[in-house]
Amino acid sequence: MDKNEGEYHMSKRLKQNLAAYGMVIPAFLVVMLTVTYPIISAVIQSFQDEKTGAFTLDNYAYFFTEPAQLKNLLFTLFVVFVTVAIAIVVAYLLALYLRFTKSKIAKTIGTLYLVPRFVPAMCAVYAMITIIRDSGLINRIGLLFGANIKLGMMYHASGIITMNLWFNIPFAAMMITAGLGAIPDSIIEGARDVGAGKFKTFTSMILPLSIKDVIIAATFVFMTNVGSFTTPYLMGGNSPKMLGIALFDQFNKYLAYNRSAALSVIMFLICSVSAGVYIYTNLKEQDWEKQ
Amino acid sequence: MNRGGQFIPESMETREIRKKRGGNLMFKMLNPRRFYHAVGKKKFLEFLLLAVFILFFYGPLLNMLMLAFANEYSVPNVLPQEWGFKWWGYVFSQKSLVSSIVQSFVIAIVTTIVSMIFCIPAAYSIARFKYRGRKIFMLSFLLTNAFPKLGIYTSIAVLFYKYGLMGTYVGVVIIHMINSMMFMVWLPSSAFRSVHRQQEEAARDVGAGPIRTFFKVTLPMAMPGIAVATLYTFLGSMEEAQGTMLVGLAKIQTMPVAMYGIVLDSSAVQIGAVFAILLIIPSAVMIFLMRKYIGPEAISGGFKMK
Repeated sequence: MDKNEGEYHMSKRLKQNLAAYGMVIPAFLVVMLTVTYPIISAVIQSFQDEKTGAFTLDNYAYFFTEPAQLKNLLFTLFVVFVTVAIAIVVAYLLALYLRFTKSKIAKTIGTLYLVPRFVPAMCAVYAMITIIRDSGLINRIGLLFGANIKLGMMYHASGIITMNLWFNIPFAAMMITAGLGAIPDSIIEGARDVGAGKFKTFTSMILPLSIKDVIIAATFVFMTNVGSFTTPYLMGGNSPKMLGIALFDQFNKYLAYNRSAALSVIMFLICSVSAGVYIYTNLKEQDWEKQ
Repeated sequence: MNRGGQFIPESMETREIRKKRGGNLMFKMLNPRRFYHAVGKKKFLEFLLLAVFILFFYGPLLNMLMLAFANEYSVPNVLPQEWGFKWWGYVFSQKSLVSSIVQSFVIAIVTTIVSMIFCIPAAYSIARFKYRGRKIFMLSFLLTNAFPKLGIYTSIAVLFYKYGLMGTYVGVVIIHMINSMMFMVWLPSSAFRSVHRQQEEAARDVGAGPIRTFFKVTLPMAMPGIAVATLYTFLGSMEEAQGTMLVGLAKIQTMPVAMYGIVLDSSAVQIGAVFAILLIIPSAVMIFLMRKYIGPEAISGGFKMK
């Protein structure tokens, strides 16, 4: 009897495991075949000479010694860091406003800020171009008042950053709002009850409780912007270029597959720093939830 | 043009009359200082925030919407000189543009179905079973979003050349699927987890089998999460451009790929505007249909490994 029951449980457990693995493995294999395998082969290729296939570091050296390429790298980092900094600060303020203000306007913004997430990237970029280009709306409105405003944002870092903010502020605010929404009102009221001021409540309760969502949002903004393509493709200038465009040129224009593999790896490495932070933050949260 | 010419002096006249009368509250409110005193500092700042928010996030879109219906729009004019559907006719008379619309929809539908077939079971498995390597499986889906897309695309393209997948529909669908896998696993997974086990057990107790329980209890309750993920996959595929351009080799022209061309070398700004509106329509329709399910919590669930 005892033994039978044990066997029954064994087979049930086995069945469950089989079902579990059977369901997850097809999707896992897709990721392995379409992401992991190509990335590994790109890493190998990046160390190979274009003609002979022998081991070399030249593909990497090219991007750090060629002045134009080095400029692209620094330009990309500059644009990405400025984007992350502004987007996160503005998004956090917006999220705080949305969480703690219960007015009609807050509700309206709370609905409206979800929409940019669903607007196709290039439509948004194109819409922005109709505003900021030299014969765009701002210039035309300026002419009404006799001022010939040339923003000069097209083909310039400021245009790309503006567009990045358009995409990333709503996204980051949404992530942070979701986090702030999880903080119960009672905790905040509790802090108020024991005499904490607004600032103290913020630094001692709200900020620590929402910092994880802020980090997750920041890492995502960082990762998506390092390899951004559409915005710089349509708005960026010829030099310096964002890395995404530089990579596209290497691959599509110059057919330099080994160099483009090296540039991909460089971009992967830049992103893996923030991916590491992201994973660490996420897993930490799970530990906290276990309790 | 005539109509526009008549319209402006008329409105200015009425405004002047109204100013003289000084009565209408609406126009009183248009004066910022009066408005400030009427509603108080806090409300005033809120309205200011709303105005800045709408100008920045919706101004460009509204301007583009206006341009799509501008037959004539030359430089010093802020508003079009002539309204109409001239450029809509132009876009629909271009065979290549119409075929790009069809291709976009076909690819998006196929991508959504294939990715559901692969990802929903994986999501359920991760949400409901405890087994070795669960976390690793889960993390593996992050790979699709943790790295710069273009880097992954160029790496894949090298392999696609080897296996003859460049310029094929299969290749493009694979590219589109990579894009959405993380959402398609994580979002439904957190949705499945939010269904209480007791509810499933109750169904099992009254004699429903595991498959029936899944379709009658678990799936309907997890539907919001799955709906948002599906929406994401479909819209993501509709707007994917860089990978399609790279792998499609100009043989497969979806709407966004065609749009790149239009933006970069179009003579009239209106063509781009019309085409962009066409690109936005599917998103708008989908959002409207699924508005119940879309909220910050539902969307951000796709970015967290809960």
